[in-house]
Amino acid sequence: MYEVFFRSFNERVSLTKEEEEFVKQFLTPKKLRKKQFILQEGDVCKYICFVEKGALKSYSVDANGTESIIQFALEGWTISDLYSFLTAEPATYNIDALEDSELVLISKASHETLLEKLPKYETYIRLQITGAYIALQKRITSVISLPLEERYKNFIALYPNIAQRVPQHMIASYMGLTPETLSRVRKKMNLGK
Amino acid sequence: MSTKQTIAVIGASGSMGAAISKSLSKGNNRLLLFGSEKEGVDAIVNDIRSANAAADVEALECAANASWEADIIILAVPYEAEKEIAEKIREVANQKIVISIANPLNETYDGLVTAPDTSAAEELQKLLPNSKVIKAFNTTFAADFATPVIDGKRVDAFVAGNDDEGVDIVSELVKTAGFNPIAAGKLSVSRTLENMQLLLIRLGMKYNYNWLAGWKILSN
Repeated sequence: MYEVFFRSFNERVSLTKEEEEFVKQFLTPKKLRKKQFILQEGDVCKYICFVEKGALKSYSVDANGTESIIQFALEGWTISDLYSFLTAEPATYNIDALEDSELVLISKASHETLLEKLPKYETYIRLQITGAYIALQKRITSVISLPLEERYKNFIALYPNIAQRVPQHMIASYMGLTPETLSRVRKKMNLGK
Repeated sequence: MSTKQTIAVIGASGSMGAAISKSLSKGNNRLLLFGSEKEGVDAIVNDIRSANAAADVEALECAANASWEADIIILAVPYEAEKEIAEKIREVANQKIVISIANPLNETYDGLVTAPDTSAAEELQKLLPNSKVIKAFNTTFAADFATPVIDGKRVDAFVAGNDDEGVDIVSELVKTAGFNPIAAGKLSVSRTLENMQLLLIRLGMKYNYNWLAGWKILSN
């Protein structure tokens, strides 16, 4: 139920068995079925979601109803509307499941308690948020300045094997391209349709 | 709030479980019903769907799976059955709201089986130390859910718990069910709330309230 979570945690900060048990008290295990939401725009994001199994995506919807995918989260990833989680302002993202998923949720109250009681958790979260910040900067740089082929290569490097699990139109949405343009890029790179 | 809450009702085929399920299906909730009598649970699901085609309700065959998917768990089982269910759901109910509706009545309905310095809700909290146990729906009879306004007055329903956010969330559910929620205090207030229902049951038998009665605080 928490195997992948603690593996990820221990890769960054090593926990003793006692510390794992302590952290476990504050975690919420949650199953989410395909297409169900863990967050909808306008609500306050109450959790940091760690994906133990399955896949989720976050996306925003513009005034015309067009969805733009912000992030995919596969096993071992975390996903949330961090802005909303940290400020308690309404979320601008929606988060739903691409597959039947098993999650480990950290509520705001649990997050605050763990930050206070366990310095190793603070380190873990700092590394997570640092990683998220770097990924965000890379993504922005990529969108602004890289040729499409490079962007697609970066995407595949970030999400290996995702093409088998996520439909092409969603990958196009993530990259800010039409599915036709993405298909042309892939052809040019000899990746087939 | 637009994100649907998933609520597991354990003991959905009982009269209270069925009444609560029907009431909450009217809100922005996804209901997962579990009960020891499969046919009974299926019948409740069909009832809810025929009354409201848009209701999001499903029967599940495992209490632990239903609780794993849920954000909120309602234990609509008799006090005596709580221990066994708690063992099954303890791991997946971690950090979740668990609603205790039980009144620990003795066999002759003239006393409680719990000691005066505790309550069914507090005993459940001991069994589920990492869950947020909230007392609610224990002072309302099953028939009240169909008629939450009696004699022109909206029946009060008391909510008690140690987690303030949990009390707020459960108070919203009480409102969805049609009652007037009153946050009554910490979980230990359940001792009083459980005794209140004992009194109401006793009086109901004495004066023949026909199981349609409730509490109302008058104030101005």
